[in-house]
Amino acid sequence: MQIVTVNPRKCVACRHCESVCSFQRRGHYNHHDSAIRVNHYPEQAACIPLTCVHCAEAWCQEVCPAAAISRDAKTNAVLIDATRCIGCKMCMLACPFGAINFDSSAQSCFKCDLCNGDPQCVKVCFPGALNFEREEDAARANRARHDNRMAAQFGNRNHD
Amino acid sequence: MTEMLKKTAPVNTFCRMCDNHCAITVYRDGSGRISSIDAYPDHPWNHGRVCAKAGGAVDIVNHPDRLLRPLKRTGSSWQEIDLKQALDEIAERVSRLQDTFGPESMSVWKGEATSFNQQEDLAKRFCRALGTPNFLSVDSLCFCTREIGYSLVYGSWPKPDFSNAECMILWGANPPAAHPPMTRTIMEGRERGAKLIVIDPRLSTIARQADIHVQPKPGTDGALAWGLAHQLIANNWYNKDFVENYTVGFEKVAAYAGDFTPDAVEAQTGVPADTVRTIAALMHKASPRVSQYAGNGVEHYENGVNNVRAIASLDAICGAFDMKGGSINADGLGQQSLKLYDEIPLTQLRRADGEKFPVLHDFRQECNTMTALNAILTGDPYSLRGMIMTAGNPTMTNPNSEKVKEALSALDLFVVRDLFMTETAQLADYVLPAATFLERTELYTYAPIQTVSMSTRVQSIPGVQDEYQFWHDMAHRLDFGEHFPWADEADLNAWLLKGTDVDFHDLQNSAKGIQYKAIQRQKWRHRPLSTPSGKVEFASAYLAGLGYDEVARYKPPYYASNPKPEYPFSLITGARNHLGYHSSYRGVKRFQPEVSGPQMEMHPDDADGLGVVDGETVKVSSAIGSIDIPVKIVARQEIIRSVLQATHGWKEANINKLTHDDILDPIDGFPVQKGIAVKVERIR
Ligand code: SF4
Repeated sequence: MQIVTVNPRKCVACRHCESVCSFQRRGHYNHHDSAIRVNHYPEQAACIPLTCVHCAEAWCQEVCPAAAISRDAKTNAVLIDATRCIGCKMCMLACPFGAINFDSSAQSCFKCDLCNGDPQCVKVCFPGALNFEREEDAARANRARHDNRMAAQFGNRNHD
Repeated sequence: MTEMLKKTAPVNTFCRMCDNHCAITVYRDGSGRISSIDAYPDHPWNHGRVCAKAGGAVDIVNHPDRLLRPLKRTGSSWQEIDLKQALDEIAERVSRLQDTFGPESMSVWKGEATSFNQQEDLAKRFCRALGTPNFLSVDSLCFCTREIGYSLVYGSWPKPDFSNAECMILWGANPPAAHPPMTRTIMEGRERGAKLIVIDPRLSTIARQADIHVQPKPGTDGALAWGLAHQLIANNWYNKDFVENYTVGFEKVAAYAGDFTPDAVEAQTGVPADTVRTIAALMHKASPRVSQYAGNGVEHYENGVNNVRAIASLDAICGAFDMKGGSINADGLGQQSLKLYDEIPLTQLRRADGEKFPVLHDFRQECNTMTALNAILTGDPYSLRGMIMTAGNPTMTNPNSEKVKEALSALDLFVVRDLFMTETAQLADYVLPAATFLERTELYTYAPIQTVSMSTRVQSIPGVQDEYQFWHDMAHRLDFGEHFPWADEADLNAWLLKGTDVDFHDLQNSAKGIQYKAIQRQKWRHRPLSTPSGKVEFASAYLAGLGYDEVARYKPPYYASNPKPEYPFSLITGARNHLGYHSSYRGVKRFQPEVSGPQMEMHPDDADGLGVVDGETVKVSSAIGSIDIPVKIVARQEIIRSVLQATHGWKEANINKLTHDDILDPIDGFPVQKGIAVKVERIR
């Protein structure tokens, strides 16, 4: 399964992802309507993009009393059916990442639906902080990066 | 059936919501209406990514307020007229003006909203053929200071090779907002372990990932660049082989740099002396893989060209010029020239800027807009009476907006072509509808990868002309049709490519573009540069000959050299946001929730001192004007104290009512639009 992975080391909080997500979902640019959210902490010099990781065991889905949350057979995305959602916000509370948002005009919850397998946020991320990839591949890349650092530190021939 | 299929099939072309020309695919609905835009996956420039603005083009193209019919002013209102009638009347009035007041009483002004480059060249061509030296453009206040500054040193403006760099330095540039594809190359560099140094009084978007964020006082970049030069030279960290064999004037630079000790730099710029040492040491360690980019932030000061020359010189000092991981001195496509420089030199006519800026003319063959606008009002050196402007909005973008309005309103004939009824178009006698980038075909070159692409005309709107068709029809009415012989833009594109290695039909069929020449490095080893000496020029005999400083002497910005206690703040204008492009897209409804209006950024301690709260509307005034504008209090890391920033382009709070059209860079005539001495008052 592919998900949108985030890399805070490359994020500049440029907000192209928030803009395009709201444009895709609602036809205008407004980060309040975006399923992906980016926080910038100037004091810590940190940029943190956050979106749904479509947990294998999705607590939001388990807790939803209206059975409005399901898993897409094709993309494996965890989806909220806005027509079934009763706006109780139980899913928002259940999500450990805060990746579920509330639309106050529609009185329903919304979240990343992976744009039906073609996530737009990834396409507008020129810095490359967002990628649409299999978790295993993302983990492998992290491991390679870490390995390289370890090799640099413990290698015997680093000073040739 | 086939017609319908064709009208609704997806089309691969290029985005021109900004000047980066990312490859896109355009989708249309069942009726042929452009409905959505996606990234084209496989172009070497944008690698399947686009920015958030690309999709918004749908709104520009289909906008209900788009101009679709020619308008003629009748008293205080507008009358819709037929296109042919409009062109006939305009041609007739142009001829009459030129017959009565001379050919130079007319001018042509090229703006940004309908592309530049090829479209600029076409407008230049028309202007020459019309027999007037008064070609005006946004180049009087954007881009040229950097192009001229770099070209004085290298004969060209080399591009950064961030992907392969080990030390990356950005001066007053914020690629995530202004050059989104460049951000990818910066992050590639970082992934390889390169250090990122961002020089900007603001914590810009890219500065959030900087290893070192340096916040100099506005307009003091030159002093910092000289300070770095001093460290590199004094520590013997410069590339001796390169400097000795491929440059001129190094001794002069070495002598002048001596004044810029770290402490002197700190006094001038506010950047700690140790930071200057640290950056220089990083540059030395990374040399020659030191890659720099200077943005629009270093322009708009009265010492802009020399500041850019000082920055540019650092590449040569590090031996990074045209080296892997340094700069890329890209080869051009070598297309045919549209500009008629040689065919119609027009040397016998004086320009409306009174020849005050020979360097701007030598490099760009154009006339300084600030001075030309004065000529309209004063008749000195002569009266400029007519203007055809295409897709510019100088009442929002030029300094001293009130004067710009006054001058444009005083013209005998003012014709504006644009997509929308802008603040500037409202002053015109005739307003003509212009085509968007999806209604034109033109060549786009991507210098750093030496690749060319050709855009596809996705749709045409009856009565809405592309730039070429307009100039063509005017030229044929004015009896110089021989200079516009091409049937249409496609025909013109084919002509432009003649003599290059790129075949028109191949290009037409290539959504990936075509690399016109393989990239070579270190061309300076066997090919002279296009500077007068053929070498890198640390000192310019050409400038000295015109009475300017031979070395890129640093002068402090006027707000620092003539401090006025009643104007305690220094205002910078024009920071980019990710959904804007110059003054465009402010009025587009679907853009608005995100970029909701004008605001002026302020340090929290300054806000405390003034007793101003976030969101409060204050009055900000310079020596020439004042406006009311809401304050945005930013985090203390995000701007330095006593410095304010406001982005231009908002008619509700037009910051260019405060900027100077009378303090100009003596070399290229750029106006002071940053580092404006202002005061802030609460409105009670
Ligand atoms: S950066 Fe954005 S606006 Fe500019 S050309 Fe690329 S997609 Fe279009």
